[in-house]
Amino acid sequence: MSEATVKPTLPNQPVAPAPKPFAPEDEVMLRESLKRCSPSTFEAAIQFRKTGNPDHVPAVVIGVIERFVEPDLRVKLKDADDDLRLVEDLGIDSLTMMEIVILVEDVLQMSINNEELRNLRTVGDVKTFIDCKARGLPLPKPTKFLPIEHIGTVMPIQPPFLFLNEASVSSTSASGKYKITGQEFFLQGHFKDNPVMPASIMLEALGQLAVLYLLEGAPADPGKRVSPLTIFFTGCEGVRAHRVCRPGDILSLSVKPKRMKMPLATFEGSIRVGADKAVIAEEITLTFGFVEIAEAPAPAAAAPTITAPAPAEAAPLRAAVNA
Amino acid sequence: MPRVFITGLGFVTSIGNDAATVVDHLYALRHGFELYPPFQTSDIPCKVVGTIKGFTTDSTDPEDWTFPAAYAIKRELLRSMAPNGLYAHCALLQAIADARLTPPDISNADTGLYAASGGSPYLTHHHHGRLQKVGVMRCSPLGIVASIVGTLNFNLVAAFRIHGASCGFSSACASSAHALGFAFDDLVLGRQKRMFIVGAEDGNRDAILPFAGMRTLSLQTDPGIASRPFDAARDGFVGTGGATVMVLETEDEVARRGVTPYAEVLGWGQASDGHNVAISHPEGLGSAAAMRLALEASRVEPADVEYVNAHATSTLIGDISEARALRTVFGPALPQVAVSSTKALTGHGLSLAGVMESAFCALALRHGFIPGCAHLRTVDPECAGLNLPRATEARPVRTVLKNSSGFGGANVAVLFRRAT
Repeated sequence: MSEATVKPTLPNQPVAPAPKPFAPEDEVMLRESLKRCSPSTFEAAIQFRKTGNPDHVPAVVIGVIERFVEPDLRVKLKDADDDLRLVEDLGIDSLTMMEIVILVEDVLQMSINNEELRNLRTVGDVKTFIDCKARGLPLPKPTKFLPIEHIGTVMPIQPPFLFLNEASVSSTSASGKYKITGQEFFLQGHFKDNPVMPASIMLEALGQLAVLYLLEGAPADPGKRVSPLTIFFTGCEGVRAHRVCRPGDILSLSVKPKRMKMPLATFEGSIRVGADKAVIAEEITLTFGFVEIAEAPAPAAAAPTITAPAPAEAAPLRAAVNA
Repeated sequence: MPRVFITGLGFVTSIGNDAATVVDHLYALRHGFELYPPFQTSDIPCKVVGTIKGFTTDSTDPEDWTFPAAYAIKRELLRSMAPNGLYAHCALLQAIADARLTPPDISNADTGLYAASGGSPYLTHHHHGRLQKVGVMRCSPLGIVASIVGTLNFNLVAAFRIHGASCGFSSACASSAHALGFAFDDLVLGRQKRMFIVGAEDGNRDAILPFAGMRTLSLQTDPGIASRPFDAARDGFVGTGGATVMVLETEDEVARRGVTPYAEVLGWGQASDGHNVAISHPEGLGSAAAMRLALEASRVEPADVEYVNAHATSTLIGDISEARALRTVFGPALPQVAVSSTKALTGHGLSLAGVMESAFCALALRHGFIPGCAHLRTVDPECAGLNLPRATEARPVRTVLKNSSGFGGANVAVLFRRAT
């Protein structure tokens, strides 16, 4: 009846780096394994194998990925953000993914299960995943894509004051998109005959994405979840607007938690329009609180209690999705 | 019944990596043998190999390989190849250019690919070694498709986006002749309009040395006489690798595309010895039956055949069996039909041999010559009666027969006619 008998395969054993000391012949094999990777990749791998310091892991992982990417696409990795997608942006197919995994396993002396690989979609996913393995931390929840129907159901904020069309949430970050339609009520007056998205609303949109992260991505204590009723804005710092945004612009929003300690969660956030930087917020801080998860959780029931319009709006949308 | 024509050829062989060089070698009887460096050790008694020039594939890592700059092959394709896959890929690119095929001509439901290679014992050995050494879950994800028999068709069908029939053939040294025969049938039956026939072998240490235990490899150290089919002093075959690709098309496609074919494939036959797993029938029973069936299917009289490109590998038993089979089939016409084995120049290409030598027949038909019997000094008395020209004969040739035989006593014969 114990968990152990149900799951004989170890979900994630801490990987004590190199139980046996790193010998000269290990270095020869490591050099051979990494012969097509950059010198800095080899250096990082040597350091990790000698010291077990997980800080070297990201350099190794990026170096190995780079080695398997076609040369004309490697430039994308040079100043890659973690949102760079393995399949769509780097042309890595599932077999190449296996090549990457086997080389990483070989170099970092760890084992990766097939199931663990399925949810790795971005460079950031891979870095986080390997980092957790190297540190023996619990593996992150996979990135979830949330369509507007889902966002509407879980968020305490609702139209016409909801500024997210879609979002992806992982345990380490959230990204989202919002298209300025021109129909937003406030654009009638902001400004006269010159509709410009208010910077305060763009900050609000980032805050909403942070709320979504707290509800859908943030790790919670066992048996608890973040309650949408407890989330409020407390402050922000280092906010700069770089670009005027108008109807037709698609805002690409992203937030990343910097610190999380009950009851405060601090995020950094940014908005881009295409390749242009639009808004930077060095810190956005929200308060939040946990509630116990009920014995038989009814996730859909949680949202309706918060705001009145939600059930009416969300229900038919969900039905359409399920049809 | 639609007629079937050879419209394109591609070569990576010991006697040349393009059709023009191959013709030069066949015509001038220049061989492609060298003392093969990996064999020059005291524990390996055979020394000579029909080597592939311009390529290096002596690493288990395809990214270490070198090949002519004209062939740009991405890592994504290279990573699942064996050495014979690289040769075949290059030969296929040549054949496509030679046949003047465009991408839509290649990637459609009416175009298929039949292939033959013995796989890659070299890479099989390597990948199994890794499996033992670094563990089951860390063997290369592409090790299987790179090394098992079938590696050619897996790789080429995917790389060239082939949508028609695809299959690998495995009848040892008759494999690619079988591939040619069944491709012909698919075209005649209207199942396909165009077929690529691919034969290839690694031709390296792991591909050739396993034959040493059978004592079938020549131990000659002089590359100039190591391979000499039908000669009294022959002492075994010389191994080779490389690749050949042949494009077959129906007459409608030939007309539609307005290309000039090398030759017509008239028909083929196959029969088995039912005798021994590795030794050919002493009287050439299956070989004779295959030739008769090919002649009947092609409606050609033995006396109309002007040249036979023999299977003869320069082994003691095999050459005699084939000589007897030829005597049986051609009877009184035997003195009129010229016989030679071009393995005297290339070495024995195993699975590659059938299509490589069929392509040589196509070149002989187009350019009007019969390659002579290179290195033949004293005809083995057991092979007496055959018309074995010592020198190349420059003359128009109309009808040619190609023999192939493999382990288990599998025999294939194919008839070709000059395209007029």
